Amino acid sequence: MSEATSTQQLILDTAGRIFSDHCNKQMLDQAETGALAKALWAQIADNGFNQLGSVGSGTDASDMYAFIQLCGNHAVPLPIAETLLVNQWCGADNGLFSIGQIEAGAIVNVPWGRAAEKVVGLEANSNTIYVVTNPQVIGEGNSMAGEPRDTMALPDSAHQVTLEQSPYAQMAVARSNQIAGSLLKMLDLGIQYSSERVQFGRAISKFQAIQHSLAIVAAEAAAAKRAADAAADALSSDRFVAEVAASKARVGEAATVVAEQVHQIHGAMGFTHEHQLHHYSRRAWAWRDDYGNEFYWQSYLGSHLAHLGADQAWSFIATQG
Amino acid sequence: MLQFDRISLDDKTQSLRAEVREFLDDTQEHFPLPLSDFTTGHDASFSQKLGDKGWIGMCWPQQYGGSDASFFERYVVTEELLAAGAPVSAHWIADRQSGPLLLRFGTEEQKQTYLPKIANGEAFFSIGMSEPDSGSDLASVRTTAVKEGDQYRINGTKVWTTDAHRNHYIICLVRTETQSENRHAGLSQVIVDLRNDGAQVKPIANMAGNEEFNEVVFEDVMVPADRIVGEPGNGWAQVTSELAYERSGPERFLSSFRVFVELIRACGDNPAPHEAAAIGRIAAHFMTLRRMSISVAGMLENDKDAVVEAALVKELGNNFEKQLLDIARLAAPMTAGNRRFRETFEQTLLLSPSFTLRGGTREILRGVIARGLGLR
Repeated sequence: MSEATSTQQLILDTAGRIFSDHCNKQMLDQAETGALAKALWAQIADNGFNQLGSVGSGTDASDMYAFIQLCGNHAVPLPIAETLLVNQWCGADNGLFSIGQIEAGAIVNVPWGRAAEKVVGLEANSNTIYVVTNPQVIGEGNSMAGEPRDTMALPDSAHQVTLEQSPYAQMAVARSNQIAGSLLKMLDLGIQYSSERVQFGRAISKFQAIQHSLAIVAAEAAAAKRAADAAADALSSDRFVAEVAASKARVGEAATVVAEQVHQIHGAMGFTHEHQLHHYSRRAWAWRDDYGNEFYWQSYLGSHLAHLGADQAWSFIATQG
Repeated sequence: MLQFDRISLDDKTQSLRAEVREFLDDTQEHFPLPLSDFTTGHDASFSQKLGDKGWIGMCWPQQYGGSDASFFERYVVTEELLAAGAPVSAHWIADRQSGPLLLRFGTEEQKQTYLPKIANGEAFFSIGMSEPDSGSDLASVRTTAVKEGDQYRINGTKVWTTDAHRNHYIICLVRTETQSENRHAGLSQVIVDLRNDGAQVKPIANMAGNEEFNEVVFEDVMVPADRIVGEPGNGWAQVTSELAYERSGPERFLSSFRVFVELIRACGDNPAPHEAAAIGRIAAHFMTLRRMSISVAGMLENDKDAVVEAALVKELGNNFEKQLLDIARLAAPMTAGNRRFRETFEQTLLLSPSFTLRGGTREILRGVIARGLGLR
């Protein structure tokens, strides 16, 4: 039985305060113009949060993924999940790093590739990663959430490292946690907005239709959080990838429902650029498709179960801690 | 409230699981069409076998026939039974709800009278809450129990009383005082002996073609005053506490489980991508729901208030039990070669409207969650 340890709680409290100070609407808007959030990055590095989960940091992977979930909760506009995983894979270092997938001889979809001092390329079905130092930008682009997603060169000199657990699945765990964080934020926004917005002479949160919608959101957000936690817990398990499959598939479904319901609750206000909701909903939508969408992971998990056989399905489901 | 703690079941619990599986391997061939819905399969002899194993009332103190087991041990037993499609309905309500109610609120004499019999698999209970004019608005019940000397005179009608025609007792929510401004006051719970007290049980066929639930009519039924559970007037508090136990268990998301098993069988070991995706989608839901449900078992084990968390599990679980049926139906054709898939699917589909009704409708549950969110 594990609950958040006091170390983890201290990390989350401190980081939460920093994010609340920095990640406001103005800053998130600025980040979308391509400006790197340097002041926030400095705060993260000063507190050693860029070393979480690394050997010698006094923290473990559970602390790291809890922190990544919090980053999702605040829409932190930095490749922090990528930096942390690169540190895990290549040994802890102090820079800003990123990760992308290898496609047609390049590394694509690299968050903030243009600002990264080191970039890792990976493939879905391989445990070998390609580490590129001083990477070259081939093309700049953005995700639908307005976060930089660049294409980087993959030179022959890239250093190869083989990992114990699938790097692709590890990135899926990171995205599951980021999404779970953003869904919890959207629930908070839905509660807050519906309690303030008055129509027909009362706060719309008093209408049963809105209450039921928020109940659905709460249930989906809670499920997403539990599923994301479970994937992080499975890191050293021999069924790691299957657990990740269940997690990312479930979290992705939750993202769809939560974003839809919370936007509906916000009415036209939430459809404006001026409102902050889209910083979270657009990220959840984008992350949903990163490192395996629902169908990808559902098929993976389903094939695995079919191979085990119908009469082993229960045993598979009930073997989980 | 949205924190569902991570829980790992300990070795003792896992070895109990192995024991349950072994028991089921020996008995399973006798299940006609295994269904995971807890209301199907009323089999007194099977329940007695479970009683012999010590798997009914297992969390209760030894003096009342239990074995002081943890909520997790009970959890493992119940989920294994449901997943296998075992006939559990005879003892289910007594084990889950009536027994814990008596243990918590009953008099010493009631505990000694009923709990050992329940734990042995010899006393089965029904729930007498709903009435023809009282469903979700439970406080509006009109069945009365009027004290006359050392007896109560009961008049009224209870409905949806699952298995009252073959169970031994029913615990009814009744009005022992006329309704005042506080509509939750003046309610009590009373134990009625279904075989000896003169209540009339009339079957109500359900749309699945089964006669599991029914109507129980009380016309001047006299019961001894010591059949009131705990204190007269405490009925509302007792009923609401029952519901936390009722709402979060594995029966709130496993009702369609056997359909999932037959879907996998129908798809074979090399499924097409869309078939694999259907299987994986369902599995992903099960894995998450199970973890959430076990978290609630942990809260109950630690005497924490789990009303809202239980409601969240039931909301997700009941909706999913229905959604599963459609995912399965559209994924794989029901051909002559996979008759068991079709039969399991059809039987479960016919039961499925009840999934989001029993134990608190979806709408009531969403209200409970909304209250937990501070919206009402």
